Amino acid sequence: MTTENNPQTNNPSPQITPTPLPRKAKQDRAPENDPGLWRMGRKSFFSFSAWLAFFGFIGISTIGSLRMMFPRILFEPSKKFKVGLPEEFLIGEVSEKFIDKGVWIIREQGGFYALIAICTHLGCAPRWLPTENKFKCACHGSGYYKNGINFEGPTPRPLERAAIGLADNGELEVDLSLKFKYELGDWVKEDSFYNYVA
Amino acid sequence: MISPMQKFRESEVYKSIFRHKYDDTQRNRALQIVDNVFLHLHPVRIPRHATNVGFTWGMGGITFLLFLILTLTGVILMFYYRPTAQYAYEDMKYLMNDVAFGPFVRNMHRWAAHLMVITVMLHMFRVFLTGSYKPPRQFNWVIGVILLVLTFLLSFTGYLLPWDQLSIWAVTVGTNMARATPLLGHDGPFGLELGMKIDNDIRFVLLGGTQVGPPTLLRFYVGHCIFLPLIASIFMVVHFWRIRKDGGISGPDTTKKTF
Amino acid sequence: MKYFLEIVTKPDNIPIVALLFLVVFYTWFAFKKARKNDSQELPEEAKLDDKIQVWPNLVRVEFLGTLIVFAILAVWSITIDAPLEEPANPTLTPNPSKAPWYFLGLQELLVYFDPWIAGVILPSIIIVGLMAIPYIDINPKGNGYYTFKERKFAILTYYFGFLILWVALIILGTFLRGPGWNFFLPWEYWDPHKVVVLNNVDLSEMIGIPTKNPDNSLNIWATLFGFSFVSGFFGILGAWHYNKFKKTETYKLMGPIRYWTTSLLFWGMAFVVLKIILRLLPPVLGAYPIKYVWVTPWFNI
Ligand code: HEM
Ligand code: FES
Repeated sequence: MTTENNPQTNNPSPQITPTPLPRKAKQDRAPENDPGLWRMGRKSFFSFSAWLAFFGFIGISTIGSLRMMFPRILFEPSKKFKVGLPEEFLIGEVSEKFIDKGVWIIREQGGFYALIAICTHLGCAPRWLPTENKFKCACHGSGYYKNGINFEGPTPRPLERAAIGLADNGELEVDLSLKFKYELGDWVKEDSFYNYVA
Repeated sequence: MISPMQKFRESEVYKSIFRHKYDDTQRNRALQIVDNVFLHLHPVRIPRHATNVGFTWGMGGITFLLFLILTLTGVILMFYYRPTAQYAYEDMKYLMNDVAFGPFVRNMHRWAAHLMVITVMLHMFRVFLTGSYKPPRQFNWVIGVILLVLTFLLSFTGYLLPWDQLSIWAVTVGTNMARATPLLGHDGPFGLELGMKIDNDIRFVLLGGTQVGPPTLLRFYVGHCIFLPLIASIFMVVHFWRIRKDGGISGPDTTKKTF
Repeated sequence: MKYFLEIVTKPDNIPIVALLFLVVFYTWFAFKKARKNDSQELPEEAKLDDKIQVWPNLVRVEFLGTLIVFAILAVWSITIDAPLEEPANPTLTPNPSKAPWYFLGLQELLVYFDPWIAGVILPSIIIVGLMAIPYIDINPKGNGYYTFKERKFAILTYYFGFLILWVALIILGTFLRGPGWNFFLPWEYWDPHKVVVLNNVDLSEMIGIPTKNPDNSLNIWATLFGFSFVSGFFGILGAWHYNKFKKTETYKLMGPIRYWTTSLLFWGMAFVVLKIILRLLPPVLGAYPIKYVWVTPWFNI
């Protein structure tokens, strides 16, 4: 590389130290009336307001646009649905009937719980493997026991439960918008389990 | 006898387009570069090693070329593609089966995108190995890293558009990482404490909902076809401009005998 | 082997195969040039520094390159169709389910780290760390020509990060991870029912400190152990190198901010490797893989 276009090797230009212009002392006020930090002449006040307006406008527009990106109404499938009469489920069975809606209904001796079929690792849909008696996620290999507790693979926590209860007509009803997390101690709460003994 | 070509070169039309003569002189070679809006991206003269493919591997240039190809093929695809959950997949099938040259253009878009990711990584590899990020080119390396990220983002947003199984699961996994963002995601460390919920955290903005669904498709489409290419073009302009301002393609400093 | 060939020739995986060859070729090529430059007084590039005109010397190279790229793309696009799978189905995850290949290195890291680290923190550190390179590498040598001798540390670190932590993990994720994200050797059949013991233990449990108390709350001693492990890793290695390095001329030129940034990035990279080893090695030795080295109420590492 030649000298002309390498800024680093240019002969340093002779140092010019700018001599500061002598400051004219402000004499419009006695020191005791000096407003200090807020001292501001007419011109700087206008300049200040103009910048304030400028950045205010930019700031508010940015916030507004960001807020706009959060939809207020979601057009997503209903989170609450009926799944049938309790007698339709077998004790010990993991029912996959409502897997399209993203939930397993599991009946135990004492009642029902609904596990949300979304891997707590990164959201793939795990599968129920009856022969191995576990839920297994294809994406990175997380595995969960039948009760939803994780025991293998990278997932940091158990599956979540959805609210389950009895609707007016005697059918079981699942509400996916109400979630119960084991690690927060939610699984003892009402609606995380529906007590039912036939 | 003068040939028709010669005659054309003498004509008013030719002269109004090309403002210099064509014979092979130093002056015309220089004018060829400076008088052309596209070519004047280049300086008129450069050190010999900068034209050597063994030195630059040509990877930056190929990356830019691929970006142009992607823009062109992408715009053509847009004539046939509707970014809604109802139509996206059907439009892809239509493109692949019944549109004349549809498969060719779509394949070209897909393969050029993959190739661009490869070339951009190799370009970076070369820049590192020749130490070209060293002064005065530090900042252009930073811009390059931004361009790398933009290339990945372009590819990632494009991946959702066919709306097939591959797309939605790749994007589901990808965007679910956002829910684990510290502070800003509802599953991330300190997210809960800051009031993050599934319908107000950073993933919610990316998806436009609580799951990968139609609003996500639209968001990714706009990002993929307008927002990201625009931002990437701006950064590319700055990238190219900086190359010249930083003294052209890097090379050993022969004035300082530091070897 | 048949299955392996099937994966390798899947249309979407062709780029990775290409990448593999290209990376190997260019690594070799750059190394060859570096060797040559290192063995002589002036680097080759310095001998070619006479100025020539861009038209036609550079423009014709660009034109030729354009033709070649178009030729490759045209043949590729005519012969191989971009895949289009079944329509999107939000309730059925294909098995295995993979990200686009260029993210498979990161997806592979998801096996070893919680999502917030593998998916957010590590990528951010990679991006910021890459941007920091020009500002922390103050070695003035090797600017504008191939060399190895003059910047061994920089080049070896980059090789390691790019070739091992990026490209090799991509290859592993693409070709050796099958259904259930299980590990399959090239000649093995991708059996979706392969049973692999993935039960995890935490590092503290390995040495006999249970992570959970019997009432299922967090054992504070496990947290403290994890904290001392992680801070010990960075503290001891950092201090060790600092003591060795602080008297050198290079340290004085770098100053503390550059030095500690470099140190943190470097040992951070080593920590990623350590965690990968802790996960992969125990099963080979007949023990359970390590899940976390540090468990706290808010996050786990
Ligand atoms: C202005 C520039 C671009 C436009 C207008 C554009 C437009 C489009 C459109 C309409 C689609 C949907 C049709 C399809 O899936 O083939 C698409 C897909 C895609 N785009 Fe782009 N694109 C652009 C640039 C890029 C760039 C720079 C990349 C990556 C480096 C990229 C990567 C992809 C990928 C991976 C797909 C999926 C391809 C597939 O299988 O169908 N695009 N793009
Ligand atoms: S998403 Fe289920 S293991 Fe990663």
